[in-house]
Amino acid sequence: MRRSILGLAAAALVAGTQLMAPATAEAAAKCIKGDRKPPFTVGWANIYSVPTWMKQTEGTITDVVEQLKKDGLVDNLVITDAEGNANNQITQIQSMIDADVDAIVVIAGSSTALNRVIEQACEKGIAVANVDSLVDTDQLTVKINTNSNEWGKQAAEFIADKLGGQGKIIIMNGPAGISVSEDRRAGATPVLEANPGLEVLTETNTAYNSAPAQEAMTSLLFQHSEIDGILSLGGALSAGAILAMDRQGRELPPMTGENYRQFLELWKEKELTAWATMQPNWLGGLGVYAAVQALNGKDIQPYVEVPLPIIDNGNIDEYLARAGDFPADGYIYSPYDLAMFDQLLGLK
Amino acid sequence: MRQVPSGAALHARLIWRRNRGQIGLFVLLALLLALYAFLHPGLLSWAGIARFTQNWFPVALVAIAQTLVMLMGGIDLAIGATVGLGTVLAATLVGESALGAGLGITATVAIGVAAGGLVGTIVALFGLPAIIVTLASSFLIGGAALLVMPRPGGSMPGWLSEGLVGVHPTALLILILILVAWRVLRATPLGLSIDAAGDNPAGAFRSGVNVALARIAAYAISGGLAAFAGVYVAAQTGAGDPLIGNPLTLQSITAAVLGGVGFLGGQGTIRGAVAGSLLLAVLVNVMFFLGLPPVAQYVMQGLIIVAAMGIKRLRERAA
Repeated sequence: MRRSILGLAAAALVAGTQLMAPATAEAAAKCIKGDRKPPFTVGWANIYSVPTWMKQTEGTITDVVEQLKKDGLVDNLVITDAEGNANNQITQIQSMIDADVDAIVVIAGSSTALNRVIEQACEKGIAVANVDSLVDTDQLTVKINTNSNEWGKQAAEFIADKLGGQGKIIIMNGPAGISVSEDRRAGATPVLEANPGLEVLTETNTAYNSAPAQEAMTSLLFQHSEIDGILSLGGALSAGAILAMDRQGRELPPMTGENYRQFLELWKEKELTAWATMQPNWLGGLGVYAAVQALNGKDIQPYVEVPLPIIDNGNIDEYLARAGDFPADGYIYSPYDLAMFDQLLGLK
Repeated sequence: MRQVPSGAALHARLIWRRNRGQIGLFVLLALLLALYAFLHPGLLSWAGIARFTQNWFPVALVAIAQTLVMLMGGIDLAIGATVGLGTVLAATLVGESALGAGLGITATVAIGVAAGGLVGTIVALFGLPAIIVTLASSFLIGGAALLVMPRPGGSMPGWLSEGLVGVHPTALLILILILVAWRVLRATPLGLSIDAAGDNPAGAFRSGVNVALARIAAYAISGGLAAFAGVYVAAQTGAGDPLIGNPLTLQSITAAVLGGVGFLGGQGTIRGAVAGSLLLAVLVNVMFFLGLPPVAQYVMQGLIIVAAMGIKRLRERAA
């Protein structure tokens, strides 16, 4: 009895303090203290600036920053490159905190290494948006990513559907032990189990580049005379597969892939039946936008899952029409604008 | 009658010869530190120094570890992997209590010493090239780290992280202790034999120094330091990550070479390597506060390394 009275008293106290808390028009997003005023300084803590995907991602960041500059919301963008070294990335985020930037957008070089420094940034009221490669800590403003499991699931469903649930397939994975690669593969598993008619001939694990995929596929072609489908789970793997098969004069079966420009061009040229999705480069730009909106007092959800944009035989021409705007070894991402970002963040 | 120089005079001459090539490095370092303090005045406080030394400390440790091995004419390509193993072991073994933490750290460092000692034994007794043996062991040790923890995870006690990586310059203190310990070690027969075996293995052998033992000891101490760097990184990040140490291998070699350590053994000092690692750490921060774009960062790094090496070479020629 005594316990429950105490409990009630505690509950009343909690309710009381909540009522007494200053009334805010909107619930603020995490880390936001409301003491930072525009124009904001944005820090982009990149893990590695050399890969084309990263360069394109940085392109969307600078583009969104330019748009926000026109509205007087951002006045400065600071860029660091950790050269693939998570220890450097800690140092650089620390420097951003020391320099008192208002927002930090980060692609993490390690899911654990940045936890403490990101928590420190959050404590100082810096809006932290983490995109693509995520950290474990929840002490930040927003995490933004696509769902890698869904990636693998939808790709497997396309193959199952095109083959009518019957046929011999090869699965092409990214490197073993990398979370994106493992998660995509895990997403495909239930679909394969539900379609026992799909026989997995073999699987490859290579870097997400065309050359190693081409090499792996070339040797597999000698072993397997009948291949009905290729479940390729990303990067430039599918382009490598097509080049290998084409060189041996093999018929190209239905296949999946990512929005790698060369793959999309080969798809059109060889008139494939194919499917592709992407890790949109504008996740970077969206990160900047979300952080700035959070600083502006908007309520940003702690996790934003970006739906996977799908490329299929119905809309591939729209993508290829824009191919000239993208580097030859780059990724043709779906179009974006700030209105779409508002929608994704649930702001309109 | 010609007077034979005393032992002390000979030693002083040796020390002078060792330090001469490093003056350029120390001047460059002083300039960069002054520039950093000017750009970021927050550096000049306990907390500022604490934060800066925390990020520098792991690089300093691996630079010392690498130098020990390079002084023996070897090279250790497994240092980064050992740091990774250190982080996952620490994040698994270190307990919440003070005793548990002490045991966990001791066990982690002991495993590092054992791994280093094993590598050193293979190099010293079988006469295999260090670059091959340590390349192979980097895969073995890296694989072991992945077995302990396939994905980053685990945890470190909060109080330990606060103590090692909080607002106090604990890292700087530990670094000073390690440098003092190295001085003390060099006054012991083992330390002297490490010094002698690195400078002139044949001469040392003829003077009765157990060169093989000195080599093994150097690798073992190096492994222990790398594993301790892993403990520190785990405390810094609050978790273990099997792959986080890999870039440190190249950084340790860069720092050692910047510090005047030669590839043929015998040439260089621990304090030079520590200065080299400090140069690398300051460079990252100075480039940030100068607002240089990433491309310029790469160019600057290359230029500074070439400049530091070039000054050394010019001085050597002039001498």
